[in-house]
Amino acid sequence: MEFTKLFSQSEVERVHEASLEILENVGMLVRNEKALQIFAKNGCQVDMETMMVKFPRDVVENARKSFVPTYTFTAQDPKFDVTMPGDRPIVVTGSSAPNIIDPKTGEERRATSDDIANIAYLINELPGFDVFSISTLADDAPEGQFSLSRFYPALKNCKKPVRSNTPNMDDLKAVLELGALVAGGEDEYRKRPFINHHYCPVVSPLTFDVESTEAVIYLLEQGLPVYGTIVPNAGMTSPLSLMGTLTLGNAEFLGLATLTQMIRPGAPMIYAVLSTVADMRTGAYAPGAIETGMLQMAHTEMARYYNVPSGGYIGLTNAHSNDAQSGYETGMNTTGALLAGADLFNMGGLLGSLMAFDFGKAVIDNEIALMLKRMKKGFEYSEENLCLDLIAKVGPGGSYMDLDHTMKNMRTIAVLPKVATREMRRRWEDQGKPDAHSRAMKEANKILSKPNKSRFSDELDAKVRGHFKGLVAGDAKWSL
Amino acid sequence: MIFRSIIKSIATGDAEQSLLLTKRALAQGFPAESVLEKGLIAGMDRVAEKFREQRVMVPEVLMASRAMHAGLSLVEPLLENFEKKSTGKIVMGTVAGDLHDIGLSLVKMLVMSTGVEIINLGVDVTPKKFASVVRKEKPQILMMSALLTTTMTVMKEVIDELESLGLRKNLIVIVGGAPINDGYAKRIGADYYFEDAFEARAFIDENLTKIITKKGRLN
Repeated sequence: MEFTKLFSQSEVERVHEASLEILENVGMLVRNEKALQIFAKNGCQVDMETMMVKFPRDVVENARKSFVPTYTFTAQDPKFDVTMPGDRPIVVTGSSAPNIIDPKTGEERRATSDDIANIAYLINELPGFDVFSISTLADDAPEGQFSLSRFYPALKNCKKPVRSNTPNMDDLKAVLELGALVAGGEDEYRKRPFINHHYCPVVSPLTFDVESTEAVIYLLEQGLPVYGTIVPNAGMTSPLSLMGTLTLGNAEFLGLATLTQMIRPGAPMIYAVLSTVADMRTGAYAPGAIETGMLQMAHTEMARYYNVPSGGYIGLTNAHSNDAQSGYETGMNTTGALLAGADLFNMGGLLGSLMAFDFGKAVIDNEIALMLKRMKKGFEYSEENLCLDLIAKVGPGGSYMDLDHTMKNMRTIAVLPKVATREMRRRWEDQGKPDAHSRAMKEANKILSKPNKSRFSDELDAKVRGHFKGLVAGDAKWSL
Repeated sequence: MIFRSIIKSIATGDAEQSLLLTKRALAQGFPAESVLEKGLIAGMDRVAEKFREQRVMVPEVLMASRAMHAGLSLVEPLLENFEKKSTGKIVMGTVAGDLHDIGLSLVKMLVMSTGVEIINLGVDVTPKKFASVVRKEKPQILMMSALLTTTMTVMKEVIDELESLGLRKNLIVIVGGAPINDGYAKRIGADYYFEDAFEARAFIDENLTKIITKKGRLN
């Protein structure tokens, strides 16, 4: 598949050059002590007083030499391991929303660890999703177990790669302890680290954060998987032009990538972004806007220039219910990103610009994910697939309905959606005119009404619960 | 009419004009109070109203606020009863671990236009820092913001710190930021949550005098 190009080669090179100029002349404010030292040791000009770091272009170019083209998400169950770039986009849930749309009442409320267990199970079963980024917070988390109350129900109920962040080093270490316990030892865990860490260590414009930078450095030093997302917001934290925001975001990616490669040359990375344009009428955050898709396409083109996998939070929506806006914002932005060659889509299940998880939205996003994967698979060009013999055999006026060839392909050529309706109107009316959301909720109900076969074994669960006292229950429980 | 010109200079965000016209109005003998009320604040009110009707956008509001403050810098020292104590004081900041301050800056700009004094501690403010500034400055109001769902829990730590040092009483705690809501505010022991900068401004505008004099119910 040929990817959409927005820029000529010389334009791409200019954006790169301009990014180097920003890093060299403007520099970045680095609010993390360790990062300052790493930059100083590796050739940056560092002012320890002001925490300003300037990057000579050679330093950045040198870091570029150890960029690697792939990134792997490891899963508890090896059959779910997935490497980018591949023949399909990697679809991930949106993460860390404080709220959930209650599946019974339809009202928004704070999410709990029980919700995370249900969501984890649902994502485990929906084939469109490749990675479970823990969708919500757990409002019921016991004191001192903020992150354990999220990772435990997630790992307990989902065998796909689990991804999320932690607010501080204590939480990060507790989560890694949980990982080692589940893997059966620290060495075992390091062989297959199935917790995939993600942070936003750069706060636009051009600033490294304290805590998340600390976590990124620690994980890189430990050889564990971690990547960051760059999040400029045009008009607020980056220039109000698409080119200006692309260039600033690209410079920020290079800044983070340089730090990454200084710590561990050859460490896998993702050029991940959530570049947006603010709605200047109110200052509202607008990740569902079409410009988010456009910026993702441009960043992805830059990622191809650097030969690193790309993607980000693409396919989010500002809609507060699982409605038409939710569908077209997710659909249009992800389609654009896919056509530009993006590999990673953090898109599933969230409404209200990352504020609330919705089960119906997750099921619809699963279907969108399957459609995106279908697009990426493409036309499978081959002589055989031209079907010339078949066309000659059937001739003008015949039918292809009862051929072996049709039988062979009927389950694989087209996405067979579970939510999208293709029925005649009368039948749909007889069913009570269900809309996409209620059909999606029916699907969620079907999956979650059955017991979770992928759950931790009782033995493992007893071990984990024995180790961490006072853990939340973390079991998927569903009733509508 | 000079007040109309001041209003216009604020509505167009022209700080130089606002300064010049305020100086001229004072030179012509208009009392500072009326320059403030009928010129500067009236100008800001007009912009706020236009904003509500979506006839102007955020940058225009910020420019207007800047223009208003240019004029205010001349008027403030002349106000008869001008004492910091009587205008009220707010301490604000983004909680520790969080470097996001766009919303905070917006709140500051708008709330300042009520005439209240604001001490902005900026980003990444620890509970200890909040507490020590509250002790020193004795504000009537503390405003905290957090954008990250992982840092909003620090708000509770700040309130706990204030409680333990006996600074919570007589202090109104207002919280804001994307992941915050009414329920969360209540649970961590904050007094108020506002969804955006305009709600916050409206509240302060309406209740500031009552807060300072500790008379009347807040609404």
